[in-house]
Amino acid sequence: MPFREINSKMVEATVLPGQKMFSQRGAMLAYRGEVSFTPNIQGGQGGVMSMIGRRMANEATPLMTVEGSGTVMFGHGGHHIQVINLAGDTLYVEADRLLAFDGTLQQGTMFMGSQGGVMGMVRGQVTGQGLFTTTLKGHGAVAVMAHGGVIELPIAPGRDVHVDPQAYVAHHGDVRNKLSTALGWRDMVGRGSGEAFQLELSGNGAVYVQASEEKL
Amino acid sequence: MFRLQGSRTLAVDLAGDAVKAKNGSMVAYDGRMTFKKMTGGGEGLRGMVTRRLTGEQMTVMEVTGQGTCYFADRASEINLVSLRGEKLYVEASNLLCTDAGLRTGTTFTGLRGGATGNGLFTTTVEGTGQAAIMSDGSAVALRVSAQYPLFVDPGAYIAHQGSLQQHFQSGVNFRTLMGEGSGESFQIRFEGEGLVYVQPSERNTIGGNV
Repeated sequence: MPFREINSKMVEATVLPGQKMFSQRGAMLAYRGEVSFTPNIQGGQGGVMSMIGRRMANEATPLMTVEGSGTVMFGHGGHHIQVINLAGDTLYVEADRLLAFDGTLQQGTMFMGSQGGVMGMVRGQVTGQGLFTTTLKGHGAVAVMAHGGVIELPIAPGRDVHVDPQAYVAHHGDVRNKLSTALGWRDMVGRGSGEAFQLELSGNGAVYVQASEEKL
Repeated sequence: MFRLQGSRTLAVDLAGDAVKAKNGSMVAYDGRMTFKKMTGGGEGLRGMVTRRLTGEQMTVMEVTGQGTCYFADRASEINLVSLRGEKLYVEASNLLCTDAGLRTGTTFTGLRGGATGNGLFTTTVEGTGQAAIMSDGSAVALRVSAQYPLFVDPGAYIAHQGSLQQHFQSGVNFRTLMGEGSGESFQIRFEGEGLVYVQPSERNTIGGNV
């Protein structure tokens, strides 16, 4: 089910009988109709194995299941909200940035360290993104949170995009990412431009970047 | 070549040329870019010493490359300013990005600086080209002409350009001293010909509490 943007910090979702959706616990602002909110220990779709995986990967932001018939408004902490529509592809996003998403989407956890070898392991430490990230796959809509507005930058072969790790929000598509450094001797002696590390994204897809270097 | 992507992200298209930007304000880029810190705001040794002495510190990097570079800073709103040989006065903390062809410097603001909470010195940008300034909420550019002087709350002022004289004025009276102030005891009066940029938010100033 699609989200309707009420303003830049609030979205409205229509809940239909027999259709589920998931949202971050406590993100409901208001609702109309007969809607129930139940804590979801499993953390979305994927069963017990996924739950254990998420616990171990520290990607277990508490979720709740939203069911019934009516409309629900979501928002959280005054953050900006970006709605991303998936058409069969995979979205990569940090669990704490997920506001709400369609219940039909398949949820999983991915080990980011597997991309880029040793630099992949370093990336989690440097960017503060952690070694694991949450994936959502299928057809449906996802609402993610960001500090400030979000811009969407297309990624295509021959058109790599470099992103400040602190400003990175999410990406989708068939995209490889690695940490690139621009460290020279100048940075070592403390005269850096402040842009020493970047996430390099290549392949086919899009990346979402927030207008701020602040994490949520 | 300066474009706004939304109201809080600045996109700059570069074709081998350079821009000066606030240190660490890049959020993304495509193509090839290099980032180099400029000592003393790129104003040479003299500028470096002046900035140290006046406390109007500005850490700037030079971005050179081919492609599009995106800048943003703590989700502040961004405003584009075009300069044709004029001088723009802006606080260093509100300056996000300038054309490499624009010269930056430091100037004395007089009594205004003390009241805006920004110090006694401000940054100037001079030449022909574009600059991007930041504000808390979307700023409005108010025109000042000979017949129409403008009064601005020191906490809401962010920048001005053109040939303007500024006077600091206070409405402090007996009531204020008795603790019955309106909270609007200080204003800056702008006279002449030019533009003043005002943000819909007020910094904490000494004057604001009187």
